[in-house]
Amino acid sequence: MSLLLAATLSAVLLTQISWAATVEEVAVLKSSDRQKILVEGAKKEGKFSFYTTLIVDQVVRPLKEAFEKEYPFVQVEFFRGNSDRIVQRLLSEYQAKRYAADVIDGTTTTTLVRRAGYAQKFFSPHLAEYPAELKDAQGFWGVANLYFHTLGYNTKMVKPNEVPKSYEDLLNPRWKGQLFWSTGRGGGGPLFIGNVFLSMGESAGKAYVQKLKGQNIAKTTASARQVLDLVIAGEYPIALQIFNHHAYISKTAGAPSEWQPIEPVAATISTIGLTKYAPHPHAAMLFLDFVLSKRGQRVYQASNYLPAHPEVSALQADLKPGGGRFKKVNYINPDDQFEKGNEWLEYFQSQFLK
Amino acid sequence: MAKQQSSETYNLPLKSHPAPQARGVFGLSASTRFDAQTCVLIIVSVITGYLVLPPLYSVLQTSLFTTKLTGELDEFTLRYYQELFRELQVLGPFLNTVYFSIGSALFATIIGGVVAWVVTRTDTPLRGLGYFTAFASFGTPFILYTIGWLLLLGKAGPVNYWLRTLLNQSGPVLNVYSLWGMVLVESFLWSPFVFLMLAASFRSMDPSLEEASAACGARLWQTLRRVSLRLMLPAFFSVILLIFIRSFESFEIPALVGLPGDIRVLTTSIYLDAQRMPPTYGRAGAFSVLLMLVVAATLYLYFRVTREGDKFHTVTGKGYRPTVIQLGGWRYVTGALLLLYSFVLLVLPFLIVLWASLLPFYMQPSLEAFSLFTLKNFITAIHFPKITDSIKNSVLLGLGSASVVMLLTTFASWILVRTKLRGRWLLDLLTTLPLLFPGIVMGLAIMRFYLIVPIPIYGTLWILLVAFITRYIPYGIRYTHSGLLQLHRELEEAAYTSGASWSNAMRRITLPLLTPSFLGGWVFVFLLSAKELSMSILLAGPQTPVVSVAIFELWENGQVGELAAFGVIWTVILVSVAIIYYLIARRYGIQQH
Repeated sequence: MSLLLAATLSAVLLTQISWAATVEEVAVLKSSDRQKILVEGAKKEGKFSFYTTLIVDQVVRPLKEAFEKEYPFVQVEFFRGNSDRIVQRLLSEYQAKRYAADVIDGTTTTTLVRRAGYAQKFFSPHLAEYPAELKDAQGFWGVANLYFHTLGYNTKMVKPNEVPKSYEDLLNPRWKGQLFWSTGRGGGGPLFIGNVFLSMGESAGKAYVQKLKGQNIAKTTASARQVLDLVIAGEYPIALQIFNHHAYISKTAGAPSEWQPIEPVAATISTIGLTKYAPHPHAAMLFLDFVLSKRGQRVYQASNYLPAHPEVSALQADLKPGGGRFKKVNYINPDDQFEKGNEWLEYFQSQFLK
Repeated sequence: MAKQQSSETYNLPLKSHPAPQARGVFGLSASTRFDAQTCVLIIVSVITGYLVLPPLYSVLQTSLFTTKLTGELDEFTLRYYQELFRELQVLGPFLNTVYFSIGSALFATIIGGVVAWVVTRTDTPLRGLGYFTAFASFGTPFILYTIGWLLLLGKAGPVNYWLRTLLNQSGPVLNVYSLWGMVLVESFLWSPFVFLMLAASFRSMDPSLEEASAACGARLWQTLRRVSLRLMLPAFFSVILLIFIRSFESFEIPALVGLPGDIRVLTTSIYLDAQRMPPTYGRAGAFSVLLMLVVAATLYLYFRVTREGDKFHTVTGKGYRPTVIQLGGWRYVTGALLLLYSFVLLVLPFLIVLWASLLPFYMQPSLEAFSLFTLKNFITAIHFPKITDSIKNSVLLGLGSASVVMLLTTFASWILVRTKLRGRWLLDLLTTLPLLFPGIVMGLAIMRFYLIVPIPIYGTLWILLVAFITRYIPYGIRYTHSGLLQLHRELEEAAYTSGASWSNAMRRITLPLLTPSFLGGWVFVFLLSAKELSMSILLAGPQTPVVSVAIFELWENGQVGELAAFGVIWTVILVSVAIIYYLIARRYGIQQH
């Protein structure tokens, strides 16, 4: 009897202990039975929530389906917003001590959340498969997919031999008043200038930008996609800093649209990470593993996104570096964007906005 | 509600009235009326205050404190105000904002006002077209509408193409990326709203003054200028005021049209400034406070003009329904004007949207493009996730917010217009306050409030409903307020003298007479709610998708075509709502006579 009691008690204690595992303990688990513990925990959790900047129709749904097929006992719930909205929502929830989000992604989300002290370091065996520039040194984020910012042009308005292929080409008087970019922080003019600074150094970069100023570049607050749409519609022949896969997707639809890299190409990265008080850490870790694994990366690939994993190519291979059209890339990680972004933005605004 | 109508109601025999005659004509019924008034004032004020004050508090607070990265308030500061005034010192953006807002308010009021007058007061053919155009143009997603206009008027657009050929010039003739371009597009966007508001007022106007004027030998134009226009002054003023405020704080048009042409206004200046990381909410707060001051000044002006309400009663007990003015041969001119209005405001943008929805990528209209027509965009739009859920949610929210807003504002307006209660200025203030918040500021404030207070509506449709109601109270009240201003007090007083209780007078006299304004406001709030984006995008949770957010998703990474296809589908749905409303309104109109 007492033996039975002791057994029950210790069983209860054991489950208590395994339940008492903190988010941190789950996140940095490295033991050989890691997968087993995560699966056991995830079965009890049954779901987790993903605050994402990805487009629902294009990639969130396929990801959800693929993940739930592999782990049928976990439901993926998601909230979709841009980086700012996700951060606003998460911070407001944390202030009110309502911890709803488990996994977050986006180009700047993880940095903002981490600086607020609400991100959780994590370990995933797949992180080892990524190069240093595509993961956080301290383990706060991994990278799910990439965006390459290149020139986009209207093939009816720009002949193949005229296409600017270098920074010098952009200064050709032929393009005066013909170039178009967005004023937005994460792309457009500010990122173009940041990339010029990174590539040429700040003083040479500033000298170049001074010359570029003479080209009277048209500007808009519209998104990169809208900028490209206006170029396709013929309002301007050339856009600076649009996403190369957008130009490719439009081209396959038959639009007079093409992209042109100027090396090194600026790349922004969509990071993914765990929150500090994630209510479903086991399920969340299984999802992070999945997204960073080749199998998860192929879901991004199939959706025409550009997977971050070095061994998973893009569906249209030349959209990624080494695919034949460009090699050199400046990966602009969220910390750089946070620290230098304001400088680039200010310089851009002081030079190009009245 | 409006079963018994018309003159019969005014001669209501006492026997049908529940209040016993023995209670006396004045004594008791006057005091119960007073109690009822106070009760209504308190209830309406408490509800409105509950909705409006938390966001206000939050805005003031954020404008006066720095925010830590965690979202917590840090130190008290006046920095954001100083920054704002530094922005103001560069007088350019401020003057541009003023020109833009005044231009848009006047131009939209002129367009909408002329159309409203033609539709409600003359025998012009095709009058139904006015309503149809107004409702249908609400259905087009805002951003698409703007892009549509830019593509029409842009450098490579058909308008410039035709003008170029016509004038034999090589470069673009019109530059839409300018102040006039901004005013033009903004006015087009708001003119249906003007039309709906003014049409409601025009329809319930007492014709006797106009008839008197005509009898004295005044010509049509003189009557219009000296009598009709002056009678409509409060309605005109509240419309101009609303559009002035909306333009003052509008962002889309200044961003998409103004910025490429280097026309900066306050909102775009602040937007450009606020792109730093971490985001500064303080500036948005300070901007809202500045906006409040501008609005307060405008409102003060408004009340100065409309203070002597008696001047403007246009519905009295003397039997009304404005007479239709016979225009003779001119009616073909006004008919043509109406057609032009519909064409420019509805057909043209709709055609552009339809055109874009049928193409795999956007091309300027040409014969060559016809061969590319495809239904692919419609298929993508229809298969968008949770599409039926989002339509259901948006319709539910629209119904809910329109009904609550109109009920609440009817009572509020009644107190403002009819009573002399001491506390009513407070109610007036409360119902105007929501106008002052940019949508996104209010969305954030409401979210924070409901995360903290123990009312579990965060993440449900209810929080969206609360947000919509709060935001659209001022719109509802512009309808019911100007509607009530025109109803002469004597109608209700006749009821009281006949022994009617307050609720009875309200139910049988005031509300039925107010129906055109009520319905107009209802439909308007419904349509606004159906396309609200800036608050929804923050408040709509995983379980509560709404249409506007779905459209935004398509827009963000999709192409123009997919958005356009959704726009066409959504327009068809909203136009159906408009037609149903029109049929109901017509039935109501028939009952009136």
